[in-house]
Amino acid sequence: MPVGLSVGGALGDPSPSRPFRPSRYVPVSAATAFLVGSTTLFLCFTCPWLSERISSIIPLYNGVVFLFTLANFCMATFMDPGIFPRAEEDEDKEDDFRAPLYKTVDVRGIQVRMKWCSTCRFYRPPRCSHCSVCDNCVEEFDHHCPWVNNCIGRRNYRYFFLFLFSLTIHIMNVFGFSLLYILHHTKQLDQVNAGVTMAVMCVAGLFFVPVAGLTGFHVVLVARGRTTNEQVTGKFRGGVNPFTHGCLKNIGYVLCSSQAPRYLGRLRKPRSLQVQPPFLRPPLSEAQLAAKVLDNGIQQSKSSLEIMESQSTDADPPPPPKPEHRYPGLPHTQNEECSLLNETPPTPSLYKYRPAYSSPGKNHTASTHSSKMSRGNSMTESPSVPVTTGQPSYLSDPSLSSRGGAGCRGGGEGGRAGSGGLGGASAFGGRSYPSFTDTLLQSAAASCSSSLRSAQTAHNALGPLISEGTTSTSYKSLANQTRNGSLSYESLLTPSESPEFESAAHELSPPRPHPPNSLSTVPGPPHILGYTSPFLSAQQREGSLQACPAPLRPSPNRAFLRPTSSPPSRAPPLSPRARSLGSPPPGPAPGHTPLGKSLSYGGGAELQHRPSTSGGGTPMPNSTFKQNVANHHAHSHKPAGGVKKVTGVGGTTYEISV
Amino acid sequence: MATEFHNLQELRHSASLANKVFIQRDYTDGTICKFQTKFPSELDSRIERTLFEDTVKTLNNYYAEAEKIGGQSYLEGCLACLTVYLIFLCIETRYEKVLKKISRYIQEQNEKIYAPRGLLITDPLERGMRVIEISVYEDRGSSGSSSGSSTTSSSGR
Repeated sequence: MPVGLSVGGALGDPSPSRPFRPSRYVPVSAATAFLVGSTTLFLCFTCPWLSERISSIIPLYNGVVFLFTLANFCMATFMDPGIFPRAEEDEDKEDDFRAPLYKTVDVRGIQVRMKWCSTCRFYRPPRCSHCSVCDNCVEEFDHHCPWVNNCIGRRNYRYFFLFLFSLTIHIMNVFGFSLLYILHHTKQLDQVNAGVTMAVMCVAGLFFVPVAGLTGFHVVLVARGRTTNEQVTGKFRGGVNPFTHGCLKNIGYVLCSSQAPRYLGRLRKPRSLQVQPPFLRPPLSEAQLAAKVLDNGIQQSKSSLEIMESQSTDADPPPPPKPEHRYPGLPHTQNEECSLLNETPPTPSLYKYRPAYSSPGKNHTASTHSSKMSRGNSMTESPSVPVTTGQPSYLSDPSLSSRGGAGCRGGGEGGRAGSGGLGGASAFGGRSYPSFTDTLLQSAAASCSSSLRSAQTAHNALGPLISEGTTSTSYKSLANQTRNGSLSYESLLTPSESPEFESAAHELSPPRPHPPNSLSTVPGPPHILGYTSPFLSAQQREGSLQACPAPLRPSPNRAFLRPTSSPPSRAPPLSPRARSLGSPPPGPAPGHTPLGKSLSYGGGAELQHRPSTSGGGTPMPNSTFKQNVANHHAHSHKPAGGVKKVTGVGGTTYEISV
Repeated sequence: MATEFHNLQELRHSASLANKVFIQRDYTDGTICKFQTKFPSELDSRIERTLFEDTVKTLNNYYAEAEKIGGQSYLEGCLACLTVYLIFLCIETRYEKVLKKISRYIQEQNEKIYAPRGLLITDPLERGMRVIEISVYEDRGSSGSSSGSSTTSSSGR
C-alpha cells in the first residue's frame, strides 16, 4: 500500500501507552478552527460580492489556495515524521555496556556526535533527535509543532513548509480581498456581511505576522540546509554545516525528493527461509591457518571443558581472532593459563582494551570461556547455560547479576530477578541466545526512569564530582539503567566512576574508550579489577577473577560499598547474597564517590589519560589514589566480621562480608 | 541419559541463532542511506569477503537510486501537489518501488548465498534503516549432544 499516512507516535511500536493529554490538542484545534472557520466565513460572506463585482475567478482561486493549505496542514499533522522504531534488545548488545554516551562519526570531514538514546536504545543518527512530547526519535528532527500536534521531521517537513508558505499566501489573499470588500462598503459597515468581513480581516491580520515570520525563518533554514533544531541549538554557529549541499540542492532536497518511507507500521513478511546446516564455510586464508596453528595447542586442552563446539562437522576449534585484535604477544586465552598457575600474573592484555566491536575470535573463544565459567558459576538451573556467544556473553552476566537485582535502583529487582535473568536468556540446546524480555526492561525502566533521565540529562544529579565534561563523557549505561545486570555491578561501584572512566577514555580519544596501555603500569591486579571489571565483558571478568588472588579481590568493593557485595556475582551462591545486600546505594550517592573514585582509579595511571575537560569535577592526584588503594589493600587483609568464603570455579575463593 | 537422547534426536538438523552482526551506516557522505562496506570480523569464517561486499555495495546503490533527486521524483512531487496528495493513495512512490526491489534482492541473496552459510540478512527497513542485521546461525546438531553431556557433568558437580 503506497499510502504512508500514520499518526505520529500513535502506532504501538514506538511509544506504547502514552497518557491522553487533552491539553495537547488545544493548539491544533484552535488552528484548525481559525483556518477553516475564517475561510468559510470569507467564502460565504465576502466572496459572493467579489465574484459578482470583480471576477468569479476570485473565489475559485481562494478555494484552491485554501484547499492546498488544508491538504498540507493535514499531511503535516497526520504523517509520520520519520519515527525510528525502538531498537530491539539484541541490537545494543554489541556495544560494551560501558560504551560511551556519544559516538563520533565523520560526516563529510566534520566530526558529528551521535548520542545514545536510552529510550530508543540506539545511537541517534546524525540530525536525529528524540522528541520528548512524542517520546520518539525522529529522523532529521526539525521541531515539535504544537499547531499540528506532531513532530516535523524528514518525512513531513516538506508538507509543513508548504503549509506555512500556502498559509501565508492564503492569509494575504483573505486579508487583501476582505480589505477590497470593506473599501467598497464603507457606507454599509453595519451590514452583517461587512461585519463578518471585518472580523475575518482582523483574524487574518493578527495571524499574518507570526505566520509570515515563521515562513521567512523556514525559507532561510531550507536555503541553508539546516533544521530548526540545529538552528536553535546553535550547532553550526560559526562552524560548517556538513549537511548542506548548496542553496539550490537544499531546496531541491526539501521539495523534490521522493517521499521517504515510514519505518513504523510496516507489514513484516514472515521469514520463510529456513537455515539448515550443514553450512558452507569459506576457505581459510594463509594468515588464518597460521593463527590457527598457534592457537590449536591451547584450545585443544580446553576442549573438554567446553560445553559446546561451534560446529559439528568442523573439527577445528573456533577460528582465532584476527591478529590485530589481540594484544601482541599475548594470546587470548592467557587468563585461563594464569588461573591454572594460580599466581598473580602480569596484568593480562585482555584488560587493557574493551572489545571495540564484536570480533569472531573473541566471540568464539570468549564464548567458550564464558560457557566454561558460567557452567561452574552460574545458574545451574539450566544446563545449557544461557551464556551466549562472544559479545553477547557479557550479557549473561547481567542476567546473572540482574538476578542479584542491583541493576536498577529503586527496587523491583526481586520480582524480576528470577524471571528476568533466566527467562531472558532463552536456552537452546547448545548455544543460547539471550534476549531480554520486554517486561524486564520495562519494569526496570519504570522503576529507574527517574534515575535514568537524571543520570543522562542532569549530570548535576551525580554530584559535584561530575564535571561539565561528563555530558559528553557519561556512559550510556548511566543513561540506560535498564540495560543489564552488569550495570548492577557498576552501580555498586557508584556511577561517579563512570564519568571518571569516561573522561579517561573520552570521545576525543579513540572512539572506543578502552583502558589504555597505561594500565600495565598499575601495580597489582586488584586495582584493575575494581577499575576494569565493569568494563570487561563477561569472559574477561571471569578470567580476571580467576587470575587474581581471591582475598584481594573483594576488598576494593567492600571498602566502599555499603552494603558490600561481591564482584563475582556470577557465582550462584553469590548472587542471592548480592541481591540481598545489593540494592545499591540509593541513587548515585555522591557520598560514595570519593572512595569509589579512588578505587576506580586505583589504576592511577588512568588519570594521565583523562583530558583536561573533565578536570572540572574529578580532580584527584595520582598519589591520593595510590594511597587510597594502599589503604584498601590494608583493609583487604583483615577479614571483616561475618565474612563468608565461597569457592568458585577453579578453586578460587571469594570473601564476602555478610 | 534419556535427556541426552532426546536432545540429540531433536536437535540434530537444526540451527540456532548464535549471534547478530550489525552493519552500521556510513555517514561520510551525509545523511544519505549508505552502509559501511567494512567486512566485520565475526563473519570472517562464515562468508567470503567479496560476496559480502558485493551485497552491501549493491544495497548502497539501490538506496542511492531511491533517494536520487531527478526528473521522476520532481514529477511525483508536482503531481502530488496538484492532486492534493490523493495520488499517494493510487500510485507507489519511487522510493517504495526501490524498497520492493531491495526486499526482493535481499531475499534472493539470502536464498542463494547467506542461508547456505548459516547467515540471514534482515532488511534494514525493519531497523529504521540504521543497521543491516545479519543473523549468524550455528549448527545445533553437535551442540545438542554436548549440552547433554554438560548436563550430566554439571549435575555431577
